[in-house]
Amino acid sequence: MKHQPITTALPQSPWQLYRRGDYLVGSFTAMASPCELLMDTVDLALGQSLTELAWRECQRIEAKFSRYKPDNLMAKLNASNGKPVSLDAETHSLLSFAQTCFELSEGMFDITSGVLRRAWTFDGSDRLAEANAVEALLPLIGWNKVTLDNHSLTLQPGMELDLGGIGKEYAVDRVSQLCQQQAPELSVVVNFGGDIQVTRPRRHQAFWQIGIENPDPTSPAPLILQIRGGGLATSGDARRFLLKDGVRYSHILNPKTGYPIINAPRSVTVAAGHCTQAGLLATLALLHGDEARTFLDQQGVKYWLLN
Amino acid sequence: MQLSNKGSIASALATATCSLLASQSVAAETPSDPNPWQFDTALLYYGETDRVTAIEGVINASKDFGDEHIFNGKLVIDALTGASATGAVAQPYAQTFTRPSGQGQYTIGANEVPLDDTFHDTRLQVSGQWTQPISENYRVSGGLQMSNEYDYQSIVLNGSIARDFNQKNSTLSLGMSYAFDTIKPEGGLPVAFSSMAVYDDDEYESEDEYDDDYNATRNDDSDTKNTLDLMLGYTQVINRRTIMQFNYGISKVDGYTTDPFKVLSVVDSEGYTQANLYENRPDSRTKQSFFWQTKYAADVGVADISYRFSTDDWEIDSHTVDTRFRFYLSENSYLQPHFRYYRQSAADFYRPFLLQDQAIPEYASADYRLGEMTAYTIGLKYGMTLENGDELGFRLEYYQQDPKNAGFNAPGVLQQMDLYPSVKAIIAQVNYRF
Repeated sequence: MKHQPITTALPQSPWQLYRRGDYLVGSFTAMASPCELLMDTVDLALGQSLTELAWRECQRIEAKFSRYKPDNLMAKLNASNGKPVSLDAETHSLLSFAQTCFELSEGMFDITSGVLRRAWTFDGSDRLAEANAVEALLPLIGWNKVTLDNHSLTLQPGMELDLGGIGKEYAVDRVSQLCQQQAPELSVVVNFGGDIQVTRPRRHQAFWQIGIENPDPTSPAPLILQIRGGGLATSGDARRFLLKDGVRYSHILNPKTGYPIINAPRSVTVAAGHCTQAGLLATLALLHGDEARTFLDQQGVKYWLLN
Repeated sequence: MQLSNKGSIASALATATCSLLASQSVAAETPSDPNPWQFDTALLYYGETDRVTAIEGVINASKDFGDEHIFNGKLVIDALTGASATGAVAQPYAQTFTRPSGQGQYTIGANEVPLDDTFHDTRLQVSGQWTQPISENYRVSGGLQMSNEYDYQSIVLNGSIARDFNQKNSTLSLGMSYAFDTIKPEGGLPVAFSSMAVYDDDEYESEDEYDDDYNATRNDDSDTKNTLDLMLGYTQVINRRTIMQFNYGISKVDGYTTDPFKVLSVVDSEGYTQANLYENRPDSRTKQSFFWQTKYAADVGVADISYRFSTDDWEIDSHTVDTRFRFYLSENSYLQPHFRYYRQSAADFYRPFLLQDQAIPEYASADYRLGEMTAYTIGLKYGMTLENGDELGFRLEYYQQDPKNAGFNAPGVLQQMDLYPSVKAIIAQVNYRF
């Protein structure tokens, strides 16, 4: 059934709101993903205010942390050329979180590894990176070369930060938090391109039925999930890989070698208390290559894995 | 990264995520009340051909005070005017009856069904209901309802407990209600089977003489009736589109169940009325009912089908089939046809009239609502959601009751009379939810 938006804030509103059965759906595009809010209410005024709130928060986070913006904090950090840059509280806690992840993964999750994109293009072809190009980038990688103190960060000249691995999940959790604060009794699903957080169980039905894009691109049917609460995130992209001599090189790169992880699952979806946590577990699972399943089993979390 | 020591990553990440999210003081904006009061209002018109007309207004207010602690309050006002069947049979000549109050008379034309047109009543009903969970899977609810009419008062207390299990896909509930009713008709309650006194210049020499006769048909001023209802319910979610419900109810009425405004005609072997006697019903009634309902949510709409069987110790067995289909016309509107069929057998003491040469039974009533009958309703509702989220609905229904002869042989002139006239009614309703 085609859904006509029932209301928008302005004629050229960046977001839309429509009713689907007994709940409302707010939608917009942010962080290069389709973003949706499912709200277990038919109160349009409430739906409007939460959708507006979510959209504004996404705009704020994207403006602040995207590495594609020329004049934000990320740009300033990446152009700091060895000088310390002072940090606000939010950025500090995000970077502290990234540091914890680096430590927990023994250096496999590293937000300084983004520079490897200069050498690698994952277009489904068999063109691996030039060995000397990868070699030249390795000195620019390693969170252990970075100095994070209470108020500032110092990067080595030429190093870059990329929060792409946690930004979207963080936005999901932040928006979920805001919704919970605005409407504590309301069940809201925050779904930003398949990274999901549910604030609380629905009022009349036990589960939300959420369709996410099937990680298997050969399957046209969306994957229908039943979620009661908590977070869900998917890592991996079934379309981004290289294939050479029968070996599939995933687009997940090992920051220590500069080369792709081999035989990693094409995609991993993890359910956990928070979306950010689920996202990290999914990414860490991919970094384990063909031992991804064993890793996930050890974590005792619910997961879906596509090889 | 070795696998051997990775058991704790998930919990370490959980802690890190929590501190990441907690470290951010979330912008404090003015929180709007997420659960404002919700109001349902409705105005209903019910009009029977040549008989009763009723106008009813309903205001229903509910609010969720958080964690499913829900209050529901309701106010109903209705005004009833018009005529209702007295139970007396039509005759080939005009008949004169005394109004129930004893003050005044009314005359019914030849061959016409005797209707008492003095019905005029206004009813006010208020009720409050509180529902809340008491643990993960248990919900309790309690309420009080009071209604008041000129000659009728009612107080109803109710309580229920419901338990969810099977991941809230199943609900078992047990409910109880107790009603205490008082009836105090103008002129008092009639003496069972006393003969209606009708003032007539030829028969009475003075009004005092008539008053004595009328007062002889009068008993106490008022009487009471208690009703205890117990209900056991089971609701099962079959799948994400289907929900099914089963109820069993038992109801016990004790007290005054007679209708003080109803009479029975005593006819001779030619079918001519000799007297009209005030009716008398048993002082208790026990009823059991079984109910099944299924709702199915399809893409195009919702189907709602139910069946009820009830049986009581007055020997009235009834079957009700009720079906509604809601078709979505668009995202914001629907059309809902409604069909209901009802059939009941007669009470064992139902008599359309009494025969002069036969003994008066212990109990008897000529109220057509206790006789054999079928009834059906055909209706259509249109509902729409307005741009501001309010809901507006219109309902129009046709309701027809068809009383049947439960095997009584009408003597003489009664064979030419319509003893079982159909009652036809139109129901129109507008409701607005905001």
